[in-house]
Amino acid sequence: MLSLQQIEILQALVNRLIPPDEDVGGWEAGVGEYLFRQFETDLKHLLPLYLSGLDGLDKEAQFLHHQPFAQLSPELQDDLLTQIEAGRVSSMWLVEPRLFFRLAAEHCAEGYYSDPGQGGNKGGVSWTMIGFQVRG
Amino acid sequence: MTTYDAIVIGAGAGGGIAAGVLAEAGKTVLLLERGAALSFEEIGRDHLRNQRLSQYGNNTGPDGMGHARVFEDTGGLSLIPPHDGRYHNNAASVGGGTRVYGAQAWRFMPQDFRMASLYGVPSGSSLADWPISYDDLAPSYERAEWELGVCGSAEAMQHLPAYARPYPMPPMSTNLQGRTFRQGAARLGWATTPVPLLINSTMYNNRPACIACQHCVGFACPVDAKNGTKNTMIARALHTGRCTLISNAMVEHLLVSNGRVVGVAYYADTNERIEVLADVVIVSGGAIESARLLLNSSSPQEPNGLGNQHDQVGRHLQGHYYPGAVGLFEEPVQDNVGPGVTTATCQFNHGNADVIGGGMLADDFIVLPITFWKRKLPPDLPRWGAAAKAFMRENYRRVADISGPVHEIPSAEARVTVSSQVRDRYGIPVAHLSGTTHPETVRTAAFMHQRAKEWLTAAGAIKVWGGVPTLALSGGQHQAGTCRMGDDPQTSVVDRWGRVHGHDNVFVMDGSVHVTNGGFNPALTIMALAFRAAEHLVQHW
Repeated sequence: MLSLQQIEILQALVNRLIPPDEDVGGWEAGVGEYLFRQFETDLKHLLPLYLSGLDGLDKEAQFLHHQPFAQLSPELQDDLLTQIEAGRVSSMWLVEPRLFFRLAAEHCAEGYYSDPGQGGNKGGVSWTMIGFQVRG
Repeated sequence: MTTYDAIVIGAGAGGGIAAGVLAEAGKTVLLLERGAALSFEEIGRDHLRNQRLSQYGNNTGPDGMGHARVFEDTGGLSLIPPHDGRYHNNAASVGGGTRVYGAQAWRFMPQDFRMASLYGVPSGSSLADWPISYDDLAPSYERAEWELGVCGSAEAMQHLPAYARPYPMPPMSTNLQGRTFRQGAARLGWATTPVPLLINSTMYNNRPACIACQHCVGFACPVDAKNGTKNTMIARALHTGRCTLISNAMVEHLLVSNGRVVGVAYYADTNERIEVLADVVIVSGGAIESARLLLNSSSPQEPNGLGNQHDQVGRHLQGHYYPGAVGLFEEPVQDNVGPGVTTATCQFNHGNADVIGGGMLADDFIVLPITFWKRKLPPDLPRWGAAAKAFMRENYRRVADISGPVHEIPSAEARVTVSSQVRDRYGIPVAHLSGTTHPETVRTAAFMHQRAKEWLTAAGAIKVWGGVPTLALSGGQHQAGTCRMGDDPQTSVVDRWGRVHGHDNVFVMDGSVHVTNGGFNPALTIMALAFRAAEHLVQHW
């Protein structure tokens, strides 16, 4: 599975894809737990892509800013992710950066906005945020 | 060996009704269903694995590569799992799609049965008239509406001839988006109607009224207020004591002896292969599986498949393109009152300049949050970060969409064959899907897309987005057309009573027999045709 370092990168990534503001961010809402469950089932085949992508994020941060990705300010993290989203990378990546980014953004949204039974959206926090109130 | 009067293959919209009519007429019936009999709890509320958003699986089956299909397009051949859109899945469970459908209960229009006469046949299409008319089917529509239970307003169905009998239940109450769209339509001068639904708006058949939850389409009903075949005609069939329902039973092929069908061979959930005999066999597996089954039922007399002497089985596969558009409003238009779809216009089903046919347009079912994320966001919105989150927070309740099914212009090249390479978990050759619908369908879809945008704008949308569907194979949950009904055996598979040409005891009762698929959700038409065909069968037994 993921190393502690990779989990730190993942946590930082999740919290920029779905940042904390007046409502909880992705990690606090349980998106990490959603992803860990999926890495053992539906997304098992994508685990190597995730591991390489997370390493790529860190390499990119080191190359540009001489710091691990998780240590960068949110502004620098967003700048870096904007570049990766556009496929502009400065370091050597083992996976297609745009593909990794697009999938990560989509999977994080799945964890954040789908039902709490998936491991994310703890207590229905995202549903409360958007005004989706379950009846029946 | 047990012998039945009839074996019905597939316990969905068509087969469930066939089983009920036959059992109540005194026939012994074996009802075989490849899926399971699922409870509300078993179907669950998984927002990523349901019949509306099958991101990683389905809640009512089938699931897994043991049930794969082959899909062919210009990119070549692909092996497709059931939750992939190219599989064109419909639910496999007792009740079939009606277990989890949105339950829209539309009658087709008189014009829908005469498309070739009204519009001519575009080059390269297989557009044709039905051998029966609206008037032929109207009594069966009425029977379906009353036996299963439909809510709606017959008076508001101004696009149809007057109903002989109103709906048994009044329409559902209208939610905020419905009121918004009714005001918009009034500004345009468009007639609207409450959407007729196979849902109890009041207590009916000893089951309660809908509680307006948001998990309707794609899920089972928490209070059993949704009327599918499982809780109506299948329940009645079982109540007679003459119907045996076996779920998790996958039929391999029909048994043919000297050219005549004498029964079926199926695999039980134990993987045991069982042969069973019957006087009559009714095929109700849905347009893809029914065609697959006939093609897999070859015999020395019919080496290319049962009923396929003229290479018609599996052709004309169609479903519905769903053009539409999404709009953002200044004020909330969603009030969490389900099932959601309330208001439709049939203003554009026919009589449009420069396009063939048209379709119904309606507001949407409640869109669950992750489905909203995947399907309703404006294309210029970033899909991550503060802006995406803020849009969800501020606008989930300010967005509504209009869409509807377009009457497809069929092509003989859009078809189901059986794979020569791939077999399913039972060893049965799988369905191979290829071709596309006729391109005229795209033109009609583009026209309807414009109407959807007009309606949204008139209703007060401050921003409207969405594109026109592109040319592709259609089928999906509205799949139809593969065992076309007709008087001429050269150009059709079954006669006007659903009987396979050349066979006195084999019938198809599902969407396969639709010559064209209307500009409406097809479930009520499948049900009405099954009532009509099954009644005729028992009257002429």
